[in-house]
Amino acid sequence: MAENPDIAGMPYGDAEDGFSRLIEEHQRQVYSMALRLTGNAAAADDITQETFISAWKHLKGFRGESSFKTWLFRIAANKVRSYWRWKKLRSWAGLGRGDGEEDSPALEDTLPDRPEGRPEQTALAADLERRVQEAINTLPPRQREVAVLRAQELGMAEIAAALGMAEGTVKAHWFEARKKLEASLGEYL
Amino acid sequence: MKDDEKDGKLLSLMEVRRPEAFWQRQRNAIIGAAAEKRGPSRAWLLAPAAVAALVFFLARLPGPAPEPDAQIVSTAFLEHLDLLDDMDVLEAVPENEL
Repeated sequence: MAENPDIAGMPYGDAEDGFSRLIEEHQRQVYSMALRLTGNAAAADDITQETFISAWKHLKGFRGESSFKTWLFRIAANKVRSYWRWKKLRSWAGLGRGDGEEDSPALEDTLPDRPEGRPEQTALAADLERRVQEAINTLPPRQREVAVLRAQELGMAEIAAALGMAEGTVKAHWFEARKKLEASLGEYL
Repeated sequence: MKDDEKDGKLLSLMEVRRPEAFWQRQRNAIIGAAAEKRGPSRAWLLAPAAVAALVFFLARLPGPAPEPDAQIVSTAFLEHLDLLDDMDVLEAVPENEL
């Protein structure tokens, strides 16, 4: 798949096929980012779906000033931020469970729905997953965003473009986030 | 352990692993949703619009009632005195009772 796809102008069948390939290529990273930033599997699923549908709808507006991947992550990051605004609004209106603070996302069903392997391996994987998510949750919001995008194999410049930050700010956030994550997860490193 | 290795290990820990069936199901759901040209978006995606509507609503709420105009009170008071002047009650009271 080309880095900057031009599937909008394709005949319908080809475009649909191109869209399917785009999803296949990027869905793991988009879902991982959404899951790590929300700590909620259902929300991550919704955000992933909405991100691709938005990208599909606005593909003609993609000017190619950044890479397609960066553009896609910018859409996803905005949807995650909308999710948190919505949670805060619900919490403020007394409709939520009061866990809507961006500083402390709830650790919900983040485990694989069909874990593979033997039960003890599954338990270990589940424990590790929980520990990792808890360590990420302790980071301040901006550090968390940078760390999670870093884990999706984005470079500093790409993260800066996706989050609308200066590259130096991204580096500073990553430096702090890495230090804290290493302290929390040292036994696994 | 070298910093690069540590970085790699840390980033690997943060990966989300799911069985292939999960990704396939998700892919099908996205394609299905895109094909339907979904109607209403997820409610939380309307958060910015909801906040704007709330601010607009609050801005349009009537403020506290304005303080009564001092001139109006004064005029009313004078009119009240005029009424008293017109009444014969005071004139009817004997002077020693006033």
